[in-house]
Amino acid sequence: MKRIPRAAAIALALTLLLSLCGCGAADGKTHLTFQIWDVYQRDSMVAICDAYTAKNPDVVIDVQVTSWNEYWTKLEAAAESNTMPDIFWMHTNQILYYTEFGMLADVTNLYDDVDPSFYQEHFSEISIGNAQGFDGKMYGVPKDKDNIVLCYNKEMFDAAGVSYPDENWTWDDMVSASEKIHAATGKYGFMAYNDDQMGYWNFVYQAGGCILTEDKTRGGFDQEGTRKAMDFYIGMQKTDWCPDQTYFAETTPQTTFFSEGGAMFLEGNWNLWNDVTSFPDMQGKWDVARLPKCPDPVQGDGRATISNGLCYSTAAHGKNREAALDVIKFFGTEEAQTIASSYGAAISAYDGTEQAYFDAFAKEGYDLDLEVLKEQFEYGVQSVNNSARPKWKAPVLDELNKVYNGQQSFEAGMDNIQEIINTETAKKLANE
Amino acid sequence: MNKGAKLSAAAKREQNWAYIMVAPTIIGLIVLNLWPFVQTLYTSFCEHLGFGHYKFVGLQNYIDVFQRPEFWRATWNTIYFCILTVPLGLFLSLLVAMLLNAKIKGKGAFRTIFFLPMVCAPAAVTMVWRWIFNGEYGILNQAMGTHVGWITDPNVVMIACAVVAIWSNIGYDAVLLLAGLQNISKSYYEAASIDGANKVTQFFHITLPMVSPTLFVVMIMRLMASVKVYDLIYMMVEDTNPAVTSVQSLMYLFYRESFVAGSRGSGSAIVIWTVLLIGAVTIIQFVGQKKWVNYDV
Repeated sequence: MKRIPRAAAIALALTLLLSLCGCGAADGKTHLTFQIWDVYQRDSMVAICDAYTAKNPDVVIDVQVTSWNEYWTKLEAAAESNTMPDIFWMHTNQILYYTEFGMLADVTNLYDDVDPSFYQEHFSEISIGNAQGFDGKMYGVPKDKDNIVLCYNKEMFDAAGVSYPDENWTWDDMVSASEKIHAATGKYGFMAYNDDQMGYWNFVYQAGGCILTEDKTRGGFDQEGTRKAMDFYIGMQKTDWCPDQTYFAETTPQTTFFSEGGAMFLEGNWNLWNDVTSFPDMQGKWDVARLPKCPDPVQGDGRATISNGLCYSTAAHGKNREAALDVIKFFGTEEAQTIASSYGAAISAYDGTEQAYFDAFAKEGYDLDLEVLKEQFEYGVQSVNNSARPKWKAPVLDELNKVYNGQQSFEAGMDNIQEIINTETAKKLANE
Repeated sequence: MNKGAKLSAAAKREQNWAYIMVAPTIIGLIVLNLWPFVQTLYTSFCEHLGFGHYKFVGLQNYIDVFQRPEFWRATWNTIYFCILTVPLGLFLSLLVAMLLNAKIKGKGAFRTIFFLPMVCAPAAVTMVWRWIFNGEYGILNQAMGTHVGWITDPNVVMIACAVVAIWSNIGYDAVLLLAGLQNISKSYYEAASIDGANKVTQFFHITLPMVSPTLFVVMIMRLMASVKVYDLIYMMVEDTNPAVTSVQSLMYLFYRESFVAGSRGSGSAIVIWTVLLIGAVTIIQFVGQKKWVNYDV
């Protein structure tokens, strides 16, 4: 009698174990995972996966969304144990770090059978740059390209009798418009909050300065143009028409803008679809414009916008490497990039597929002057990065916080930031 | 003799079974707690180059960390947080436990209400509190007619966090203390009232001594949890908040160091420091308990 329950227990345990193994590929198909961080792009990503699996019925792709912060913690842990998702998005913030340690598959020659100069022919220089590793090889297929625009509230401009921003708008115009709007309506003008890509980076490059030098080995915070822009940007919070950093700690410029508390803020074009669909009551009350230019830049013509882009990557030593490579090869084609664009969430990187993005807005009746996006790509500046950036990002933010709340003088703060970037970069270079 | 040998064989078998039975827990502890601790200790002597590549650097991480003002600030912030939350939290929990132990109508409902914060997800709780505390539009400032930046003013941000911490923990601590209170025999109170002792005397001479073992356990747990505070502050104060250095706890600093900046070495050094801090605090408590915890009865 005693033996029977034991045998039963063993049988049960075996069944459990077997059922675990069964999770693999019981249907004989190749199962791939595809990790992304933006929930608003889930639909477009599922759509391109469907387009692929329609042609390759033996492949199943599972799109998984993780939040931005967790994404990088998880991906790094997965990379250490060689259990990365089969396909994933890669960002310029991280690509140098990942490629330096050989974590990503080299896709430079992915399209050689189609066209050896595929990338150069169909993608912009910035898009290619954003997908290049530390050694200049391609470690991802360019996915999209973006830039930063100025959102403004038309009603507030009307109320203050100020004409809408046009292509000749400068920083000075923006300041005087903010003053007039604040005086006429009591609302905030331009909301200059402490952000890099959607904030001061744009102003720094407009003024002819830089965050990193051309060779990316040193910071640019000792340069005249950089300081001029930083002084202007940080200084805006001292005015009545711009909220200060304590305000922004609790309320984002986006929230303030769409609750009609402020007239202008900088927005990344990847958020615009979310903005129009989340705030239908604001329809027709706001529009987008080019970023105002620096009236007296140290060098250049005063125009710049930060242009970033993601890419599709796969692990260098992944289990399903070949299958995944075939999928991302498809993701880089005109067909897939047109589908992705048509969801309005991001502008695909492939030249000529942009129109689908603009059509998505028009089709739903969202009337924004999106032409400015196209024009801004002409003077887009590649998103700032070097392999030490993860190390200097947080300390630079802390230092800027001190300048904002007056614990640190502007000059000393800029000196310290320069020092932080230089030290961390030198340390990183010494380890290579 | 024969009988004895037989017994010891049975005892031995029983012993083996005992080992097998505790094995899952022991293995779990070794794999999930002990081994990571050893690794953390080792990592604290290394520089993390990336993706699991480490370079041994000796005490360098500790030297670097000890020289940084924000580290000492974080240590003080952590201690300050404990001072703000633990005594007041324990006092309020005991008060609530005693009220819930009294004969009142709707006792079950009250117990549920006080325990409710414990069941809510911390992320949701802090979300709601952030709205309450919002300096511009928050209900707290509206109700009091003030204009205080509860979570942006470096001087009050810690108090705001402490309020949320106390609020979310009262229910749990009170339930533990309630269990302790219910173990006290009614006869003590009856005898005391016959002798003419009033409620206050009864509290200090019966309730407090009798509940002190439970109170001690709750205090140790609460203090350890407070030294390790992370999620609450992380959710309440983002890193673009200018008040972040005034509220950043050791675990918050550890997170930013290890996962934002990717310096696992100095992150681990901060963790080891925190372990030492918890150890020191706990030793003091165990020494101190002899003076006030009553194990007789």
